[in-house]
Amino acid sequence: MSNLLDFLKKYHHWFLFILLEVISGVMLFRYNSYQGSVWLSSANVVAAKVYEVKSSVGALLSMTRANEELTQRNINLERQVAQLRRLYNEAVKDTTAAQKAELSALEQYRLVPAKVVSNSVSRLNNLMTIDKGRADGVETDMGVVCGNGIVGVVYLTSDHYAVVIPALNATTSRISCAIRGRNYFGYLHWTGGDPMRAYVEDVPRHAQFRKGEWVVTSGYSSIFPPGIPVGKIEKVYNSTDGLSYRLQVHLSTDFSCLRDVAVITDKSFAERTRLMEAVRDSMRAKGGM
Amino acid sequence: MAVDILKRWALFVVLCMVQVLFLNHIWLFDVATPLLYMLFVITFRRNTPKWAILLWSFCLGLTIDTFTNTPGLASGCLTLTGMMQPYLAEVFLPKDAPEDIEISMRTLGISKFATLSLILTGTYCLIFFALEAFSFYNLLYWVECSVFSTALTMALLLAVESVRSK
Repeated sequence: MSNLLDFLKKYHHWFLFILLEVISGVMLFRYNSYQGSVWLSSANVVAAKVYEVKSSVGALLSMTRANEELTQRNINLERQVAQLRRLYNEAVKDTTAAQKAELSALEQYRLVPAKVVSNSVSRLNNLMTIDKGRADGVETDMGVVCGNGIVGVVYLTSDHYAVVIPALNATTSRISCAIRGRNYFGYLHWTGGDPMRAYVEDVPRHAQFRKGEWVVTSGYSSIFPPGIPVGKIEKVYNSTDGLSYRLQVHLSTDFSCLRDVAVITDKSFAERTRLMEAVRDSMRAKGGM
Repeated sequence: MAVDILKRWALFVVLCMVQVLFLNHIWLFDVATPLLYMLFVITFRRNTPKWAILLWSFCLGLTIDTFTNTPGLASGCLTLTGMMQPYLAEVFLPKDAPEDIEISMRTLGISKFATLSLILTGTYCLIFFALEAFSFYNLLYWVECSVFSTALTMALLLAVESVRSK
């Protein structure tokens, strides 16, 4: 305490100087209109900047929910666009056909939003875990998509989690794709390395397309509806046997920063699965005879 | 001690009156105005308490502001000049100078007094005109006002001091 008092006693004139300067400053800004107005406008700029930063922080904190909503909306819109594009190309005469088809397409699929809790992109056979499981209606062999395009297929489920085989799985993932607007189809295969590049194999040699065109899901599987973006054609190669094309595709989904996804639960899924199993059983029986 | 305080008060009043009644109306070439009241701050004795210098300078500035209708302008600048005065004076004073020596042309000599006055007056003018403009939009004008006002004030200061020292 005595040290403090000694300090104050030794430097008291500095405190007095600061006090007098503050008083002068207050008088300057309060009683001089020009300096006061400059101070006010500068203070407004500073205050506005502070409020802007606060608003940005608030917006960032609410980004999670906004992201989920946008993902859902994006998926719905992509499907609607694919449906509309198909109807336009077919030049349907029935004016209500587009509406009916769109409604039926939307009714068919239900989306279960999920978050990726575990992911990898550096291995040859990557796997992903999402935080939805059987209790949320997720079953094996269901398709998983995100706001930008396809993600993968559900491989294993528990009550509250599911393991997904993403498109970045060299051994297992084979997703049926088609070139948008052309309907030539192949299957998507990732060979490792760059997580943003994969290949569409077995595209017929008579197929006509250009670099930069979009590759989308073909709809020929019971997993993904048609029209979900896969990526853009970057380069074209010949297949190893020379009988088809091999398209290098720049994937639209960035797997390295994937967070919000949605599982496509198809109401007719169970019916189609049963039908497919019945066909396989019948063909096995005929082969055994 | 009481005599010194009375002398200080007299100098205070005279300088304020001269400044307010005559010198504030001088605005040479739209850039230069003499600020003779700087003499009050420059000539504080060596052993004057720093708090007293600050209070005197503040009051002088406030009085000038009252007459020029610019509250806070001169008082802020003069307070800063008052803070600088004792430290700068120590630099120019001889080492064997008495404790209560008066800062003037007679005790310091022309060159040292002029240098000390130049530094204090120059600093005051720079800050004063910067606060008055409150913007560096017209930088050249600010420099012109500071330089020419300093020069005019110095001329007047040296003239008054040379008369006082006789």
